[in-house]
Amino acid sequence: MRLALLVDLQRCLGCDTCTLACKQENGTPRDVFFARVLNMETGTFPKVKRSYLPVLCNHCADAPCLRACPNKAIFRRSDGIVLIDQDRCNGTGACVSACPYGNIFLTPSDEWYFPADSPYEHYAKARLEPGKARKCTYCAHRLDQGLEPACVVACPGEARIFGDLEDPESKLSQYLRTQQERTGREPFRLLEELATDPSTRYLRPVNGTATTDASSGNLSGTRAAR
Amino acid sequence: MVTARRVPGRFADDGPEPDIRYIRTVDSPNCTGACGWLAAVQDGTIIDLKPAADYPDPAYNPRCCLRGMSATSLIYHPDRLKTPLIRAGERGEGKWREAGWDEALDLLAAKFKQIAAQYGPESIVFFNQVIGTGNVQKGAQVRLATLLGASYATGYDYNGDISMGYTETVGIDSLESESSAWAEAKTLILWGANILQTRMPDAKFVLKAQENGSRVVVIDPRAAQTSKAADLWLPLVPGTDGLLALGLCRLIIENHWLDLDFIRTFTDLPLLVRLDTGERLRASDLGLGTSDEFVAVVDPTQSAGPVNSADSANLAANSADSADSADSANPANLANSTNPDENNPATAGGTPPRFVGVSPQSLRLEDGTQVSLQGSYTVRIGSQPVTVRPAFALLSEHLQEERYALDNVARETGLPAGDIAELARLYAQNRPAQIIIGMGVNHRFHSDLAIRSILLLGALTGGFGKPGQSVDIYSGQHHVRFDISPWWYPDGHRPNVISMHYVVMPEKSPTMNAKVHLPRQGFHALFFSHANIFTTSHVNEWQRIRENLDFIVAVDFMKTSSTELADLVLPAPTFWEKYELVVTGPHPYAQIQQPVIPPRFESKSEFWMMKELARRLNPEWESYFNLSEEEVIDYLLANGGPISKGITLAALKKGPVRLNLPNPDVPLAENIANQIPLPPRAYPHQEGAQREFLKTGRMEFYKEEKSFREAGESLPTYKNAYSHLTAEERKFSLAFMTPHAKWRVHSTHVNNPWLQNLNRRPVVEINPSDASSRQIKDGDKVEIFNLYGRFQLWARVTESIRPGALSVDHGWWGRYLARGEYNNVLLPERVKPVQETYFLPAVYAPGQLWKDPRVEIRRVD
Repeated sequence: MRLALLVDLQRCLGCDTCTLACKQENGTPRDVFFARVLNMETGTFPKVKRSYLPVLCNHCADAPCLRACPNKAIFRRSDGIVLIDQDRCNGTGACVSACPYGNIFLTPSDEWYFPADSPYEHYAKARLEPGKARKCTYCAHRLDQGLEPACVVACPGEARIFGDLEDPESKLSQYLRTQQERTGREPFRLLEELATDPSTRYLRPVNGTATTDASSGNLSGTRAAR
Repeated sequence: MVTARRVPGRFADDGPEPDIRYIRTVDSPNCTGACGWLAAVQDGTIIDLKPAADYPDPAYNPRCCLRGMSATSLIYHPDRLKTPLIRAGERGEGKWREAGWDEALDLLAAKFKQIAAQYGPESIVFFNQVIGTGNVQKGAQVRLATLLGASYATGYDYNGDISMGYTETVGIDSLESESSAWAEAKTLILWGANILQTRMPDAKFVLKAQENGSRVVVIDPRAAQTSKAADLWLPLVPGTDGLLALGLCRLIIENHWLDLDFIRTFTDLPLLVRLDTGERLRASDLGLGTSDEFVAVVDPTQSAGPVNSADSANLAANSADSADSADSANPANLANSTNPDENNPATAGGTPPRFVGVSPQSLRLEDGTQVSLQGSYTVRIGSQPVTVRPAFALLSEHLQEERYALDNVARETGLPAGDIAELARLYAQNRPAQIIIGMGVNHRFHSDLAIRSILLLGALTGGFGKPGQSVDIYSGQHHVRFDISPWWYPDGHRPNVISMHYVVMPEKSPTMNAKVHLPRQGFHALFFSHANIFTTSHVNEWQRIRENLDFIVAVDFMKTSSTELADLVLPAPTFWEKYELVVTGPHPYAQIQQPVIPPRFESKSEFWMMKELARRLNPEWESYFNLSEEEVIDYLLANGGPISKGITLAALKKGPVRLNLPNPDVPLAENIANQIPLPPRAYPHQEGAQREFLKTGRMEFYKEEKSFREAGESLPTYKNAYSHLTAEERKFSLAFMTPHAKWRVHSTHVNNPWLQNLNRRPVVEINPSDASSRQIKDGDKVEIFNLYGRFQLWARVTESIRPGALSVDHGWWGRYLARGEYNNVLLPERVKPVQETYFLPAVYAPGQLWKDPRVEIRRVD
């Protein structure tokens, strides 16, 4: 079993609803976004192309973060999901440095959105502890209840498809097959050349290649791009 | 699989299972989304939102966006209005006294009574934005305004959203397909419509069409979010949309891509126009009928129109008539020929032209396929010979002007000629073809001309009435979908409905329509609800007008930059804390809001406020608010006419219910299928109320009214977008665009901290060439200025905008700018005389000129 998220860049609007759906679900503090959308402009006027690349933890099969953690806080479930044990994490930041995708967040303290302890944030804060490395879990807690990840159910473009890569009958496998037949598109992964074996997959837009450039570009600075 | 170890997310802790309730509701902050949500509530607090995804047509699931997903940050925002506030210092000083509801409403009633007694009740003007978002609650405000005999200013026209080009042509303010129908299009033209950003829940239908092989064309001076999907991006010079449309029309004619059957049946183009008066020839002029009827000419020598119909599949039905017209698109052949027979040897000695009456009650033309679209004829009216021509002949002659030639259109619009030609070909030949007009075309003084020109493009090619083949325009949630008048207008009375323009304009408009009634002694009180008018509209004018207002009342759920300038502020609940009946344009479902949580703090529903105010103003009026808010929903549906018939509150409590609309709901489909004269009814106005401005019952591309003739706008014509500016106003070198922001709905959400986290400060987009010539670098603080004002923000130097144009997202509050208000540079309110020819509130009423200011920019240190 290998659970994975597929983002179909044809269907992606670049709307950032995934970004906010993740925040709504996981109650992340200020400046912490487990799911984000990179907004890219390439070329010079009038040959300008805008493209969007939603990013999140790739849940790599050979995860550099897992290997880098001196406290063995990062583990991989048998379904392929990579998680950070908040009790074991000491906030060394080794995983943050090791992740070539910039998808792990470690802030020295948590800043929240409202000055006082608002009724809403009360529920979010109870679930998080400052000074620990955090990242996307593929909403493992929802999967455990038989639900799909929050960003998947809230994508207005129906661009995010979740399922088991190893099950040919999973929603994900079927989607990939259908797209291969109908649009001739094959999935790709980010920074494939680093051999981290990411689970998260992408399909290119039917009319464009610009987003593909980003797939092999240097994404290490993307955290700062926000 | 269950993870025992503690990881981020909502993992069950050791405690008891929390008690969580799930409640279905709908958000309605005037984005037109009207998306259903499922809220999870624990201990009276909303702890999670997920799209309800329960629309009976699964294609609509899920509907949501980043703003709806962030609603909790508004609901629990520290700037929520908590109690009624009475101003304690000077206006805008920020000194308030918290008051109880009794004191606040007693004060309001006393002020209204005093102002009504002194100046007349019409000197009190009510303004609540986008009524379709709140048929019950905002409707209650209109109901009270009616009882009071107050003025009520519509937002649709004042916002500039009203599509006067649509009204002038089709007789109704706007029409749009339900968004799922877009997926049927083979060509999608998004004309100044940034759909991927402004219509997120509906945008997937564009992308899915493209996934299935459709072509997407985006017309926008900026590589906005929607350009992501562009197969062809046309970054035209701002304001040249009308020229592009007419250039395309000319190419359509030149290439014989016309749908003559559509032109003859559904447009006024076959109707004869008198060259002496410029008015249409009436049937009564020739003794063929009444003065309400018109005339066409059956002329076998001209009947094929200007094309060789064998060239176009659209014309198959007419091919029998096309034998001798191969050269007829040549302008030389369009010259006056009072005796067409002489020019057509093929039919010499044939039947002479025959004039036939055309009733506005029917779209059928006698001998329709032989009705002439060309030529010039002489008739006798009384004893005078009068030259008459089909409107089509005038139009095709007009389009022969050099400025509509491809080379010139390419030069003026700044687009490659090849791209324009490709667009014409795609639209005419890769069908079904859908045009969606957005606010990038509207919001200009002359945008009615541009919209008329785009509608012409549609009409020439028969581009209406089918799924994926229509010319749609945003209506927002202004457009009323069923008859709400029994609730809004008790006893058949109406408030004094006016356009807000006339409140804002310093001088009375000399061409104001006589149906607009202004209070004799001016306006003395303003009651505004859910509107940030002092920030998002004519900032400079309002500053002066406020000085003349004795009393300003604001209703909102949030402390905004406009409530700060009121005398009395009344706290309303958010959309998540009250009952409401919600409908919208882009999808066909009726939905209800129901309180997910009780109204926070001391906030009270607008319905409750109006009931309490009514009682204080006149004890007899309380009975007008005897229903409960839930009962009002049933009352509205039961009295809403055929479109809401049979839908009940009980049904809506279970989920969304489709209005009684055709499936799919496509503009004019019924009119076209059954040859029913235009226009469709504009609710809440009576059937027939629009007839006076669409006398032919057809799409009108020739406007015979004096105002149009005097303006030189009888035909769709191109006028430079800035030609109405004074020389002083024109001397600033940059165009100024204020598109909708991704992070807001107008100014709602501007203070939402989640969204601010992703959109940290206001920027002006500027092309590197404009920036470098002014020594502006990315991130610099800059000032935008013109004759009328200035404001400061930060530069974002980007290749994604056309040189010569600046773009600042609309809706920023002054507090977030480096200095000033972004609307300080607006042109003063100005009304276009042709838009005052008639007056039917929110249907035929003046538009706006938000996008017309010219500005300059400089770096500030």
